[in-house]
Amino acid sequence: MNGPPGPAGPVIRVQDLRKTFRVALHHRGALGAVRNLVERRFKEVRAVDGIGFAIQRGEMVGCLGPNGAGKSTTIKMLTGILTPSGGDVEVLGLSPQRKRKEVAARIGVVFGQRTQLWWDLPLIESLDLLRYVYRVPAERYRRNLDTFRALLDLDSFLNTPVRQLSLGQRMRGDLAASLLHDPEILYLDEPTIGLDVVAKHRMRDFLREINRERGVTVLLTTHDMADVEQLCSRLLIVDRGRLLYDGSLREIRDRLGTERTLVVDLTSGEGLDGSLNVPNAREVRADGPRRWLRFDRKDTTASDLIAAVASRYRLQDLTIEEPEIELIVRRIYEKGLDLTVPVKSAGATL
Amino acid sequence: MAVIFETGGIYRRLIGAHLRSQMQHKVSFVLRTLGTFAANFFDFAGIAVLFGRIPQLSGWSLPEVALLYGISSLCFATAELFGGALDNFDTVILQGTFDRVLLRPLDALFQVLTEEFALRRLGRMAQGGLVLGIALAQLPVSWTAGKVLFLAISLVSGTALFLGIFVLGAAYCFWIVQGKEATHVVTYGGDFMSNYPMDIYSHWLKRFATFVLPIGFVSYYPSLYLLERSDPFGLPDWFRLMGPVAAAAVCLAAWCAWRGGVSQYQSTGS
Repeated sequence: MNGPPGPAGPVIRVQDLRKTFRVALHHRGALGAVRNLVERRFKEVRAVDGIGFAIQRGEMVGCLGPNGAGKSTTIKMLTGILTPSGGDVEVLGLSPQRKRKEVAARIGVVFGQRTQLWWDLPLIESLDLLRYVYRVPAERYRRNLDTFRALLDLDSFLNTPVRQLSLGQRMRGDLAASLLHDPEILYLDEPTIGLDVVAKHRMRDFLREINRERGVTVLLTTHDMADVEQLCSRLLIVDRGRLLYDGSLREIRDRLGTERTLVVDLTSGEGLDGSLNVPNAREVRADGPRRWLRFDRKDTTASDLIAAVASRYRLQDLTIEEPEIELIVRRIYEKGLDLTVPVKSAGATL
Repeated sequence: MAVIFETGGIYRRLIGAHLRSQMQHKVSFVLRTLGTFAANFFDFAGIAVLFGRIPQLSGWSLPEVALLYGISSLCFATAELFGGALDNFDTVILQGTFDRVLLRPLDALFQVLTEEFALRRLGRMAQGGLVLGIALAQLPVSWTAGKVLFLAISLVSGTALFLGIFVLGAAYCFWIVQGKEATHVVTYGGDFMSNYPMDIYSHWLKRFATFVLPIGFVSYYPSLYLLERSDPFGLPDWFRLMGPVAAAAVCLAAWCAWRGGVSQYQSTGS
């Protein structure tokens, strides 16, 4: 493990965290523009409304939630960018606001939407500058740079100005940049957004590696259920500024994500009129030979359903779509989340 | 001491990075430098032409006004050289790049200052220095060691005063993002004011420039001392030496405003 062995206990501790933004309301029209000058009205928006959790050293935690749920605002308070309106934040035992510089030296941050690199300079120059900004000893810098060059395959674009990099290359550059100073915690805000499948895989492999080999605690926000599935043992679901769920992925799946969709491509010219008729599933969408069949894992398993479809129709191809996070969050709202009820045996899953 | 050297080293590296970025757009850089130089040349030429018509301005001769102009121009250009980034701070806030600043283990204001080194301001510094040199050569000042030292201190404190005003203007952006025009009234307005003897201004403006936003301490009060003129407002003689105090007060206010601004920075939505 890198960095000083911190005190026992959580590396991130958040209690009743709140952030309220004041948004100016504008009067409309020409007269309104004049009124705006003399009279300013504000609306209070509660972006984060009483969130609490603790993360232990070495954990890898995914934070899921729809747009505007408060994920980014929470990360920004954890990193010291924003000052909370209420509640407590402690990162590595320090307040990220009062001890911003100390905390900044021990964390790494990657924002998927925005680069931390110098836009007009070659990637290697950004990395070299950060070495001085973070006061990384020369020997350690060289060792880390060698590691990341190999792991992230940076060599082919190390001398290219950042503005000319593809999104995937830029993200790899940003990842290397965020880890040069051996941070104890790595925050990632939407790290896979806009990346293609190969780039996403590479990113996830890398994150697993640094978590395992370097013991870096990882907290990432995402829209992509697959990020959480493949990386995180623990999941936080946030919506409308509140923490809806804090626990394992499997549990939430079993409890709420029981409906999945089987997408089948039929061989054309056969049974293409009307909807498919398969027990334990209903067709929710049709597009020529491609059909979407929704099924509940309480009623049938994916393999049984595929067998049932295959016995009636000639299949060309199939995929299974997992429930969207938006859908899960909506279900939590509709049905509530009662964690006192034990999970029923969900049966075999594919 | 080691800290100062280290900070200086980081400053040099970050400024170097900025200049290399800027050189990616060479034509724009050259044109802007030439433009700045030309604009400033005509600026003082205008004042000189004015004196072709009138021998004195509220009792101040051309070389005396040149002294005012030279000091204030040199101070303002030096402040802009180091604090040029503060003038674009509204876009830093709007684009959310200030997030990046807060993620790094260095002082936030220090980092913002490293994002611009307005080399084109060298043109204006040269012009200011030239006017100041000509003024000093023509004025019958009886130079003492004290006066030379005082002039040097005045140049430093005048620069610090302008820098403080720039920081105040930037801090204002934390509250009112589109506040740049209001800021310019104070920065460029202050620069303009200190090019002329305060005798020509109305009473309330003089008070404002002395006690509220002490622009008068950039060039006017120091010039009163150097030229051994009496104070038309009847203020005691020691008052004209208070430039460093005024600069320190402005910088302190600027630092507090900056700290307050950072703590209520709202970032951008996402």
